[in-house]
Amino acid sequence: MFPSTPLLDKIQYELGAQEPWPKDVKLYQPYEVEQILLPDNANCLAVQAFLRMCNLNFEIVSKANAEFMSPSGKVPFIRCGAFVISELEPIVQFVNTKGISLTSELENDQKCDIRAYMSLVHNVLENAELYLCWCDKETYNEVTKPRNGSVYPWPLNHLQNWTKRSHVIKRLKMMGWYSKTMDQVYHEVENCCQALADRLDGKEFFFGKKYTELDALLYGHIYSILESRNAKLIAILQKNKNLLTHSQLIHRHIMQKHFDDKLLQRLKSDHRKIKTRNIKTKAKEVEKRSHIETNKNIRRNQTIENTLTETEIDSLSDVDSGDLSDY
Amino acid sequence: MGIVHAKEKKHGLASPNINYDDCDSVESREINLEGVRARVDRIHINGLARTKDDYVKGVVQDLFDANDFQDVLLKAHTVRNKLNSMGCFQNIGVFIDTSKGPKATPDGLEITFYVRELKRVVGGINTQVGDNEGSLVIGLRAPNMFGRGERIQTEFSYGSKNTNNFNLSFVKPFTGRHNPVFSTSVYQANSEWPSSGYKQVDLGFILDYGINSWPLIRHNFQWDVAVRDLSVLTKGSSFAIREESGSSLKSALRHIFSIDVRDDNIFPSCGSLFKFTTEAAGAGGDVGFVKNDVFLQTNLSLIGDCVLQTSANAGILNSLGNDWKLGLMDMYYLGGPLSLRGFRMRGVGPHSEGDALGSTWFWASGLHLFTPLPFRPGKGGFGELFRTHLFVNAGNIGNFEGDEDFMEKVKTNIRVAYGIGVAMRLGQMARIEINYCFPHSFQETDLSQPGVQFGIGVHFL
Repeated sequence: MFPSTPLLDKIQYELGAQEPWPKDVKLYQPYEVEQILLPDNANCLAVQAFLRMCNLNFEIVSKANAEFMSPSGKVPFIRCGAFVISELEPIVQFVNTKGISLTSELENDQKCDIRAYMSLVHNVLENAELYLCWCDKETYNEVTKPRNGSVYPWPLNHLQNWTKRSHVIKRLKMMGWYSKTMDQVYHEVENCCQALADRLDGKEFFFGKKYTELDALLYGHIYSILESRNAKLIAILQKNKNLLTHSQLIHRHIMQKHFDDKLLQRLKSDHRKIKTRNIKTKAKEVEKRSHIETNKNIRRNQTIENTLTETEIDSLSDVDSGDLSDY
Repeated sequence: MGIVHAKEKKHGLASPNINYDDCDSVESREINLEGVRARVDRIHINGLARTKDDYVKGVVQDLFDANDFQDVLLKAHTVRNKLNSMGCFQNIGVFIDTSKGPKATPDGLEITFYVRELKRVVGGINTQVGDNEGSLVIGLRAPNMFGRGERIQTEFSYGSKNTNNFNLSFVKPFTGRHNPVFSTSVYQANSEWPSSGYKQVDLGFILDYGINSWPLIRHNFQWDVAVRDLSVLTKGSSFAIREESGSSLKSALRHIFSIDVRDDNIFPSCGSLFKFTTEAAGAGGDVGFVKNDVFLQTNLSLIGDCVLQTSANAGILNSLGNDWKLGLMDMYYLGGPLSLRGFRMRGVGPHSEGDALGSTWFWASGLHLFTPLPFRPGKGGFGELFRTHLFVNAGNIGNFEGDEDFMEKVKTNIRVAYGIGVAMRLGQMARIEINYCFPHSFQETDLSQPGVQFGIGVHFL
């Protein structure tokens, strides 16, 4: 009931820092199979990757109204004890207050670099994805509209699409992106990828052998672009092959390792829910969903593998074997 | 003789606006009037511009049935009231004269109604200050638009916190025995519920058809479609409330059955009010439930001006199943100065971190003893706006979940509070209460509020 002030928030964060990472942390995101859109998917994957990089346990909860539950209106967000924190940067900060950091060994100017490149990814890749989803007519009609509206009944779905679209357009106008053409947007993405590829150079991760939140963020975006099967964007990525290998590396060693456990857990928790609710229709739905999810994850791996078969994986071979055991 | 007298008196008035109290002054001759045979030959209505003839015709028709002069006077009075309630005229005067001309009958009378129509558009702008927010309210009304009592009303309020509310409604009354009225409105409304930690924005429209099946029994059939957007009020709202955020679409059919035979809305001295509301949501949209509410109030006049009032209120909410949503705004809450006094607003029932979560059934009852102010200051005038009252409230609220027997749950953990206070009438619609409450029995989880409690509202338990 108290009015929330920045000071009060700060104090609460500091107090929260004294507690260790709780066991029941939950990450809320929209339904992956039928609802989530490209920019949201990128952010959700980035946060998942970051938390896994920190070896923090969490459970993924899919909610149709995740976007509205989030304090900032953006997905994903985590619930950690009494705290609800959304988006990657605040989550990174929050994790830091618990004494867990991926960047503790880095120099100050390197930390500045991380921030700069992260804002580059946010400003270019995220805006490009938003533009593609909401301003490109074909994508909007064929992908965005049915997916974003899938959780609402008629005619609320149209209303929701319309409101969300006007919000996104407002944001893009503010950032000066709305006036761009699709080709200009692709060009921006190309430049951004080029810059990132140059920075990555021949290294495994941006800062040598140790991954950071920047790696997590980039992984989230590249991976979800690959999943989106947008030919033009994938073609741009394929020009910068080291970005693809970078994502492949993170996927194999950070995400996939947890995948089997995750699916098992998800199935278990779904079954538990079914038991308590005891509804046959719901059960079928959930089973179908987890089935699709399994297929999707298989497909996911195939996607990235297919993309990679065309690239030469020379840098990967030596990383693959022993180097990652340190982490 | 009586006729001549009445005519002369009315001639003496400069304006056609007749004061009916004057009729009482000739009460000593009433016997004469009743005996005087009279027949209404003609009725004139002066001052009609855009109002259609057929719309007024039906109303004045009764006058032709009058047989004696007294009947004519009484009927003229009812017709005048009816015309007034049509909401088309500013003021109405009646003029009665003997009928003249070739077709005049010996006992014939001519009655003339002088009316002045309301202006085409009436409007106003005002500011108001409410819960932590100031707002500018613009209202416009177009009465009697097409000449048959149709009216359009619109109100737009722009708040300092960017909360825009609007309401646009169209009302079409029909002439007929059952007083059918059709109305429809489109609205957007913002509301904040600090006691539950959420705020909501409703955008919807209502179709309403009201009809009387017996003179005092009113039925309202409604179709209510609304998009409800719920969000947390502050960062500190509990997670249970946060989980409910988002939009839902409700499409509900509602039937309201009401009998009101009380002599007054605010401080009735006799009579009862019974209201039964059934609402079924799920005809489209994603919100599905069946809701039944009942409200009963009975008044009994005791010695002097003391009135004993009993009231009871109960509701049951059934979900249509897990495939349907059930919003926080659909649930029942109990507690507060308007319902169960002695508790905080929505203070009774399940809470999560201080936020009321709502329940699927409730009942509440009250017993009041209203008396005039002690020593009766301002008797017959200002003092009549006030009443002192002693009250006892009892109620219970809960959810259907669990294995316990429903009736058992209803009977256990009953909350009781009693107290004394002063109530004040605000116009014909609302009242203010200041009470000193003593919560008698309550649960640990309830937020009781012993001591002074202030309430303002329209519907009181």
